[in-house]
Amino acid sequence: MRVQVNARNRGYDFDARPGEKLLHAGLRSGIDLPYECSTGTCGTCKATLVSGRVTDAWREAPGKKYLKPGTAELLMCQCVAEEPVMLEVPKFVHPMDPGTCAPQANAGTLRRARRLTSDVIAFTLALDAPCDFDAGQFVLLAPVGVSGFRAYSMCNFARGARELEFVVKRKPEGRFSDWLFSAEREGERLQVFGPLGKAVFDPALRKNILCIAGGSGLAGMMSILARAAAEGYFERQSGWLYFGVRALRDAFFLEELGAYARRFAGKLGITLALSEEDVPASAQREHPQFAFARGLVHEVAKREMAGKYQGLRAYVAGPPPAVDAAIRMLLLDARLTTDNIRYDKYS
Amino acid sequence: MGKRLLCRVQDIAERELRECQTDDGLKLVVANAGGGEFFGFQASCPHQEVPLCEGVFDGATLTCHMHLWQWDVRSGAPLGIAEAPLQKYALTREGDALYVESTGSALEAAALFSGLRSETLKALERLGKREEFAEGATIYEVGDPAEDFFVLESGRVEFLIGRGERTRLAGFRLGKGELFGWNALLENQPHRIARATCRERSSVLRLNGRQVLKVLESDTASGYVVMRRLADLIARYLAGDAPRS
Repeated sequence: MRVQVNARNRGYDFDARPGEKLLHAGLRSGIDLPYECSTGTCGTCKATLVSGRVTDAWREAPGKKYLKPGTAELLMCQCVAEEPVMLEVPKFVHPMDPGTCAPQANAGTLRRARRLTSDVIAFTLALDAPCDFDAGQFVLLAPVGVSGFRAYSMCNFARGARELEFVVKRKPEGRFSDWLFSAEREGERLQVFGPLGKAVFDPALRKNILCIAGGSGLAGMMSILARAAAEGYFERQSGWLYFGVRALRDAFFLEELGAYARRFAGKLGITLALSEEDVPASAQREHPQFAFARGLVHEVAKREMAGKYQGLRAYVAGPPPAVDAAIRMLLLDARLTTDNIRYDKYS
Repeated sequence: MGKRLLCRVQDIAERELRECQTDDGLKLVVANAGGGEFFGFQASCPHQEVPLCEGVFDGATLTCHMHLWQWDVRSGAPLGIAEAPLQKYALTREGDALYVESTGSALEAAALFSGLRSETLKALERLGKREEFAEGATIYEVGDPAEDFFVLESGRVEFLIGRGERTRLAGFRLGKGELFGWNALLENQPHRIARATCRERSSVLRLNGRQVLKVLESDTASGYVVMRRLADLIARYLAGDAPRS
């Protein structure tokens, strides 16, 4: 089905497959349409229907509160073209950067779900078709037959990946996390759309890297570390990872992180920031390869990174308030330029 | 429209941003740059309509927190990756009250003219003729003489490129203050290269290219700024990423 999108700066034409969401069709065609949650909540992907007919997959989507009543506004992440349509998007829309891995619809089978903490589960997704992605990117996941995607960053890195690794934190009313936590899900089928996201790491960067992660935001940083480690990045560059959790018992992947810290001692510093408890006396003894500090992760990073911001690229991930606080710190205190601050807001 | 109360200076701490609204509904983000300096801009980001009051402000640079577009708080000029300026509103202070004096004219909102000397802007505004077009009306056709250019005040204008069977929609949408028909400001571009049609009732300011150039010649500093921005617009047009009108 032909879709034309008229944006502030130019127009785009692309084809949508039967049943395919307008947003997915545009992204798959290499057009960087605006979206954040892509799951019907944030309203960022709103557009005005100028001509043609669409069906709306989720009439009660909470993001509809951002649409003007009585107009032809719709959410591109929820609507499917039934005939050729023309849309207006009152925003600047650009083609995706050249060299970006083009997002595709894919599917896979859930394997090896394992609980990492009381409210974090890791699992592997065995893909039907291999997928290229960049370190730091995410995909949209939904169980087959369950409507509504949710965004999760990959923890691993491989070209032509046959398996994707994820961590999922249990969230109140999180549809995907409820589904995952409520039963044994080995062998269940998942729909996948991606990869997406611009907070990517490429070893050609040749800058020191600072990763600030809150909670399950660590996922994308694991992918970045995996790629950096595999390509010998820390032979020339330094890296710092600040991993923020409420208490030490909420931290995960400590074994994997510990192995990196030992392997790149002196080049990669890993600090755990505990926001709701003092650092336990035993922590340093049990994990000599890490540093520990009490405080919000961006505040800990601010204290300890002073004077190290030259030639640095920062990556930020986590709950939106933590991401906003870290960005504020990186702009106002670290005085990083905007091109050296990378993050994706999708929670 | 005359002077309207916006807020009290004590409402906004130094190096802070706040969204303020006049009684007649004009919403602005006001920045306190310290030293008694206050600046007023359009309330939402021109990129994706995010409220700018949620942004980051260090006293000199205003940053939208969503995609990190940035502007110089003194001029509203885009910095870094930002692709559009902020519409700036002149503020005046009386005691602890801040007033906005904007006429709200589309010319003030036009990226091409924002931040020019106020006398020059006023001279340009005197040249503008307001015209209303009904839905479906054609403002100009391919091949028409290109003597005037237009600034959109309200409504929606669509552009068709090509002739007869081979037309296609240029496919972009203009916002308030955006310019079309800008080849009227160029030498040796006497004809329209697209057809401009109103998709809904639209109001435009019509300005004669030659008369505008004459005003700009009398204030070459402003003229230089306008020509640099025009060159940038054409460069983006050549790169396939700007309105082709």
